[in-house]
This record gives sequence, structure tokens and C-alpha cells, in this order.
Amino acid sequence: MSIDLEEPTATASEAPTTLVVTKKPFKMPRLGWIFGTIWLVTLSFCALFAGQLPFIREYSAKVKVNGRAKSYGWGPGWNAWFGTDKSSFDVFARCIYGARVTLLVGVGATALGLFLGGILGILGGYYRGRIDRVTSIFVDCLLALPPLLLALLLIYRLDDLEIQIWFWKVTRPWEITITLGILAIAPLARIVRAQTISLREREFVLAARSLGAKNGRIIFREVLPNVVPTMLTVAFTGLGILIAAEGALAFLGLGVESPQTWGKMINAGRDDLAKAWWATLFPCLFLLLSVVSFNLIGDQMARRFDIREAAI
Amino acid sequence: MRYFLQRFSQFLIVFFLVTFGVMVLMRAGLNAPGDPARTMLGGTASQQQIDTITARYHLDSNILGQYWFWLKGMVWEGDFGYSVQQNLSVVDYMRPTILTTLFLGVYSLVWALIIAVPLAVYQAYKRDSFLDKSGNFFSFFFISVPALVFAPFIIYIFVTKLDWFPRIGEKIYPWDDLGAHFKNFFLPVVVLAVPLSAIFVRLLRADMVATLQSDFITLASAKGVPPGRTLWTHALRNSLFSLLTSVGVNLGGLVGGALIVEQYFNMKGMGFLLVSTILSKDLFVVQSLSAILVATVVLANLGIDLMYAVIDPRIRHARALS
Amino acid sequence: MSDLIQASARDLSGPLIELTDVKTHFKTARGLVRAVDGVSFTLERGKSLGIVGESGSGKTVLSRSIMGLLPPKAAVRHGSIKFEGREILGLSRSQMRGIWGSEMAMIFQDPMTSLNPVMKIGRQIAEPLRIHLNMARSDAWATAERLLTDVRIPEAARRLNQYPHELSGGMRQRVMIAIALACGPTVLFADEPTTALDVTVQAQILDLLGEQRRDRNMSLILVTHDLGVVAGHTDEIAVMYGGKLVEKAPTRSLFANMKMPYTEALLQSIPKLTDPSHTRLSVINGRPPDLVNPPVGCRFAARCLYTQQRCREEEPPLVVTPEDPEHSYACWYPVGSPAYFEAKARIPSNSTVEVL
Repeated sequence: MSIDLEEPTATASEAPTTLVVTKKPFKMPRLGWIFGTIWLVTLSFCALFAGQLPFIREYSAKVKVNGRAKSYGWGPGWNAWFGTDKSSFDVFARCIYGARVTLLVGVGATALGLFLGGILGILGGYYRGRIDRVTSIFVDCLLALPPLLLALLLIYRLDDLEIQIWFWKVTRPWEITITLGILAIAPLARIVRAQTISLREREFVLAARSLGAKNGRIIFREVLPNVVPTMLTVAFTGLGILIAAEGALAFLGLGVESPQTWGKMINAGRDDLAKAWWATLFPCLFLLLSVVSFNLIGDQMARRFDIREAAI
Repeated sequence: MRYFLQRFSQFLIVFFLVTFGVMVLMRAGLNAPGDPARTMLGGTASQQQIDTITARYHLDSNILGQYWFWLKGMVWEGDFGYSVQQNLSVVDYMRPTILTTLFLGVYSLVWALIIAVPLAVYQAYKRDSFLDKSGNFFSFFFISVPALVFAPFIIYIFVTKLDWFPRIGEKIYPWDDLGAHFKNFFLPVVVLAVPLSAIFVRLLRADMVATLQSDFITLASAKGVPPGRTLWTHALRNSLFSLLTSVGVNLGGLVGGALIVEQYFNMKGMGFLLVSTILSKDLFVVQSLSAILVATVVLANLGIDLMYAVIDPRIRHARALS
Repeated sequence: MSDLIQASARDLSGPLIELTDVKTHFKTARGLVRAVDGVSFTLERGKSLGIVGESGSGKTVLSRSIMGLLPPKAAVRHGSIKFEGREILGLSRSQMRGIWGSEMAMIFQDPMTSLNPVMKIGRQIAEPLRIHLNMARSDAWATAERLLTDVRIPEAARRLNQYPHELSGGMRQRVMIAIALACGPTVLFADEPTTALDVTVQAQILDLLGEQRRDRNMSLILVTHDLGVVAGHTDEIAVMYGGKLVEKAPTRSLFANMKMPYTEALLQSIPKLTDPSHTRLSVINGRPPDLVNPPVGCRFAARCLYTQQRCREEEPPLVVTPEDPEHSYACWYPVGSPAYFEAKARIPSNSTVEVL
């Protein structure tokens, strides 16, 4: 269409053509990402200062019924906001403490994925040729097994091997972080590679090259700054997926021993859904809200930096 | 043809690398002679049993040698190995899980597409309408819902409260009792299919919206083509690429990655089996199962690659030239 | 579908298309864009009309307004458009569908993007035949082959089974013409049909259009920014500026006796073979008017070389020339009037007009 329209419009829609008084397009204020940010900030704050905040019970405090610990003794209510679980712990407090590991592992894994995926993507996309082929095959290999299975395989084996590098012992939280980080490599490397390929043919990169800039300089000064927004956007969306994956691993029995995580709480309570839905569904809600929040923020960033969804 | 061979060889490389990687990972730390066999048999095995297994499966040769014998057995003799712990051939061991996985995967994929395609087409057609906006909202929401969270909510509502479906699914084949079969698979398929269709809707809608603004769609109107026909024959076929790619990406997850759903609904599929054999270190089963999974994923993507060419003559043309 | 038209009284004696004060406005975030702002003209059966103007003058929107092809949610149309005596401005898209393809057809600017890339040429030509004329597949296919031969595509039978990407730009535009001609429309809209093509192909396509028009006794509305294109190929020319018709005349009369300074400027901006090399290209300075807040007086006043005070205050009406009742223009001081010469004398010698 060669008509200059300010707003894109569908061309094949059916409606009377005359004198249509269009309503002003209703713009939904983008409250979503604000909600996401508030939720994540509040959650992180509570999780960090859980010990100091008066309204959060201690991690190992049992909420007793008539002086005795009772499994699922309290439903959601004033005594325990989210009720108590099988071992009569406060579900609300545990949900808050559960955020600690989940968020830490998620952020750590994303950082690892960003670093390794970014390197692979930029190298493959910038140098093309043989380097590209090798990195692409590596990425394809990571994608060939379903991610959850790959994670399970890695963690089980890392558990068995009990790797110790000098004085740093690779413990369960580290194993999970590393494994999830490896899972994050493939999607990041793919999108960074695609971006780098299109960037390296752009005028400003060609100009820098024709001025005699070295490859390293072009990568760090010209390519990297333009790839970072995309990487961060994908990372936020990926964070949502990773904390869900962490939950799934905990659910399958590969969580962190202490503190309790959401996945483990969901797993522990799921057979007693009929008896005490709160023990399962509240941690579910926390996990859900956090994943949605990360996605909302990622979505907002994609809009902001104008990144096409399909690329992600 | 050259293009196809090139892709195929690349997929073969991936297959070999991944299966070899799985083997190395599983054998890491089992360096002493007889270790792999001892691991499989468990602590109480006699030396004689260990020696038998070691000799039979060439477990005394180096890792490359072992890989070679395993691969050769699988390809030439159709021998996928032997589950020492269950005293079953791997094929027999896997058989019941393959059907479960197949039902789950096929139903979920088909339903996801049946929901997603008409919805996305309609949303793109009635862009910015109320239905489009609510569609966008729900697809965004369901993309964000992990199975881990979705399943207990679904179970709580439909099993605990409404009691419409059985809690623990027994394996019922369609040829035994069709009604019970569908009843059994309904909830797990919902948990798998709804988030999947949300992804599909989002991708297809975006592509459709872009296609509907092309000149050839205006031309179709100018020819007097009714909107239904414009959408389904002119626009849809030009908008399938992201959707197809996404089907390929998600197929692997459906085949082997439905672990959470299998766990919740107690349906032992291939993923479930693989996890339990990784735990019990039943080496051959792990290797063969992962090989089958990798082959499925790789072949599915090869198939998708061919589909691109079927759909778009320009890709056919470009590939014929390369 | 085309029964709709047949059922209603078809007025075959009157003009084919009659526009009265047609306005097409777009609602945008910036305000109401008056893309077409009060255009009236008639087109006789079998005649051809060229609509000329620079980009943004509203010529494309006008042609799509007549066909009713604009996005219905954004476009607001006023006035009256009569096709064969029947009001079509108020018709819904489903009612228009009976006219589209069978009575009115359109050729788009860019043949690269206007054909469906994943559909065989034959099917794309056969489609309107099957929809409007209920032809069987084999009949439609045979007709499509004949149409391809008509538009001078060699090896028509083979082309039917090819896809658009296998043809050159010129060939694709011929296919577009074949599609447009398929159901024997009474009027054909050609929206910049040659702009995207090689210069060598342009003339061929224009000749083909003219020839098909004569053979089929069809009306043609040729939309272009190039006066040179319409000069040899249309009976009448309408010049548009800022959403308004500023001059309309039979082709010969227009070139012999143009009244509107804008028309003159358009003509002068065509480079001539007789110019010495390195002659500076003549341009019209400034930009087309803002269609959200159009100027009060003559819309061309800001760029016109002969602007007087009155031009900025009062909008000139469309008036008929004394020499030719079919020639009308909208200017207070038309080319050839005393005020025009007076103004011309005042123009400094290094102005762009001086080149001629």
C-alpha cells in the first residue's frame, strides 16, 4: 500500500465503508511491567530481609495448634496467612524464604548464559566460516535433547562426581546454577548470532573496518553495544523460564536441600491437594507471579528496543 | 539435493556428538575395569556376573571402542542394548512408555494447532478488536504459566473439586475403551497443549498481521475474493514460517520433556523412564533412550526444513540453485 | 454477486463514473488527514483519464476511494460516487465484492509485491474467473492462458504453472494486467503501473494498456506522477494538488493551453532530450502542504512562483476556460493572464524557471 497512514491498519476487514466514525484507539496503559517490577522488588526485599521483617515467621518456626504441632493445622487465615504445611511450618514464610534460592540461582544462571551465549553468538556471527559452523553445531547439540532432560542428566552426574576445584566444592546450588546457565546458552547464542550477522554488514561497521579498526575493537565498540539490548531482553524472558525450570528440578527431587524452594513445596503438598490446597497452590502462585513478572518486563523491553517476537 | 545432503550431514554430526556426549557423561568417573558393569548390576553383584557383562558389551575397551560397539549393535543388529537391572531388552523395557509418549505428544500437538490456527487467523483479521485484545492477553498469560504450576491448579479444579476426571491415570489404550482413554488423557493434554497453543497463536498472529498488509492481499480484495478465502488461501500460507519453526523447537519437549506432566498424572512416558534409568545408572537404557530422543528431534527439524520448501516455492528455487 | 449490479437499474446512457465532492479523510494520531478534499469529475464510458500529481497529492487515495479499497476503519468518505448511475459510496465491502474484479479492476504499482509469492500464476489469474463467472477449473485455466497471450507473454501455457519469482518485473506487471482484465471490467484503475519498472519496459506496458483498453472498450484511470506518461495514453488529464483537483482538461487542450502554474511546473520538471547536457533539473521548491492543517487560500500558494496576496487569502474555485468548455482550472492568476506575466517579469533571472 502506498497510502501514507500514520497507523497501520488491516486491509481485509469487513465493515461498512462509509462514514465510519472510528473510536479513538483505546490505549491500554502499560501497567503490566510496572506490576512486574513492583512484585519482583518487593519479593526480593522480603526474601533478603526475611529475618528482620516482623511479619515473616522464622524459617524453622512451627505454627502450633493448641500447643501441638499438627500437619496442615491451619488453613489460610490470621494465624498463618497462607496456612501451614505438612510439618506445620508457615507456608507464607517458606514462600518468602524459597524466593532466595530461586532468584539467586536464576540470576546466576542467566549471567552465565549471557556470558557464554554472548561469546559464542558474537564469534559465530562475526567471523562466520569455520568458527560459525563449529559454534552452530555446539548450539544445535545443546538443543537436541529436551532441556529438562539435559539438566537432569548434568545434575545427577555432577552430584556423583563431587567435583572439587581447589578449595571450591561444587555443591548443589552451584550445580543447578551451572546447569541452568548451560541451558540458557543456546537461545542466547542463536539470537546474538543472528543480530551480529546483520550488524556486521551495516554501514557503521563497514566504516570502522575501512578505517582500519581491528576485529577486536569492532566487536567491542561497534557490535557489542548494539547487541546488548537484545541480550538483556531475551535474558529477562529467559529468567522467567529458568526459575520455572529450577522449580521443575526441585519438584523432581533435584532441588537445594535448604532452604525449601517453591518446587519442593509444590511437590511435597501435591498429593494432599484435597486436604490442604494452600500448601501447594500458594507456592504455585508465587512461582507463577514471578515468571509472569519477568515476562512482562521482558515484553516491555522488547517493545522499547523494538525487537521482533519471532526472533525470541 | 545438495542442500538437503548438507543439512543431513550436519544433523548426523549433531546426533553422533550428542549420543557420544551422553555416553561420556554417564561413564565419567567409572574408570576402573569392570566399573560400568558393577554400576549397572549394583553392589551385590558377583565378579563372575561383572565379567560376563563386561565381555558381552566390550566394556573393557576404551570409550571410543565402547561407543563404536554400541552404535554398531544398534544400527546393524537392531540391538538397542539390554537393561541389566530389569533383565529385559531395552526395546521391551521401552515399549509401554513409547505409546504413552506418543499419545501425549500427538494429542497435545494436534490440539494446540487446532486451537491456535483459527484463533490466530481470526485475531489478525479482526485486529485490535476486543477479541483480539483478550486473545493477546490470554496467550501472554498462558505462555508464562509453567506446567509445574498449571497442573496442580487444573487438578485442584477438575479432579479435587469437580471430580470430573480420575486422579491417577491408568494406561488405557484406545482399542480397549475409547471413552476412558480420552478421559484419561484429557487433563495432561490440556496442561501440555494450552501453553503450546499460546506460543503458536502469538507467532502466527504476528506473521498474519504482517502478511495482511502486503499488496497481494489488497489485490485479492480488488479481485473480489471473499475475506475467508483471502485469509485461508492467500494469507495463511504466507505466514506459516515462525509457526513451523516453533513446532520443530517444541517437538522435542513434547516427546521427552513432558516430565512434569508425566509425574503429576502418573503417566510413565519416555521422559519418565529416562529419568529413572539415569538415577539407577542403567547405562544402556539411558544411551538408547537418549539416542531415540535425539534422533526424533533431529529428524523432526529436518522434516520442518523440508516443509519450508513445500510451502514456499522461492525457498525451493534457492535451494535448487545452491 | 454481480447480480447485485444487474438487478439495480443500470444507467448505460449517462457517464460511467460520476464523482461529486468526494472527500476521503483518515483518522490518525496527528489529526484528520484530508487526503482527498472535495473532488468532482465525470468519466465517460470507454474514455481514459490520467490523474497526475506528486506524491502526497491524494491521487492514489482518490483512485482507491472510488474503488472502495481503503481500510474501512481509518478512512472516512463523504460525497457521492456514482458508478453507472448507481451510488456506490455507501456500499459495504461484501456488496462491493460483486463489483471488484468484474466491473472495476486495479493494477498496483509494484509487481514484485502484488502477486502472491506462493501461488501459481495460473491460479491467480483463474481465481476471479472462478469467483465471478463460476467457470470450471479447466475453462478458467484455458481463459487464463488466452489472457496471458493477450498481454504478450510468450509460452503462456508454461507460465501458468510458474510462480511469480520466476518472472521478471515487466512480465509480472503483464500478469497483473491479465488478472485485472480477466473478467472484462468496464473500468480499469492503474496506480503508477510503470513506476517500479525499467524505462525500456515502461513504454511497452503503457502501450499494452492502451491497446487492451481500445480492444475491450474499457475505461482507464491512470494514476501517475509523470505527466509524460499520461501525455500519449489518455484522453483527459486531471491534475491533483494537496487533495484537490486543480486542473482538468482533454489532453491536447491541457498541453496546448495549461492554466495552472502547478501543471506548468510539473511539465517543466520533466528533463528534455533537447536540453544541453549538464542542464540543472528543474524542481518545484518546497514541500506539499500539510493535509492535517491545509493552508487557507490556494494550496499551491506557498510554492507558486507567481503568488499574489489574494492567493494566500482566498481559495480559487474550479472555473471553465473560455476557449474549451471541458477545460477547467483553479487559479486566480492562470498562466497567460496579465498578472502572470507581471509576476514572471519580477522573478530574478537565476530562478529555476529560467532554465527553460
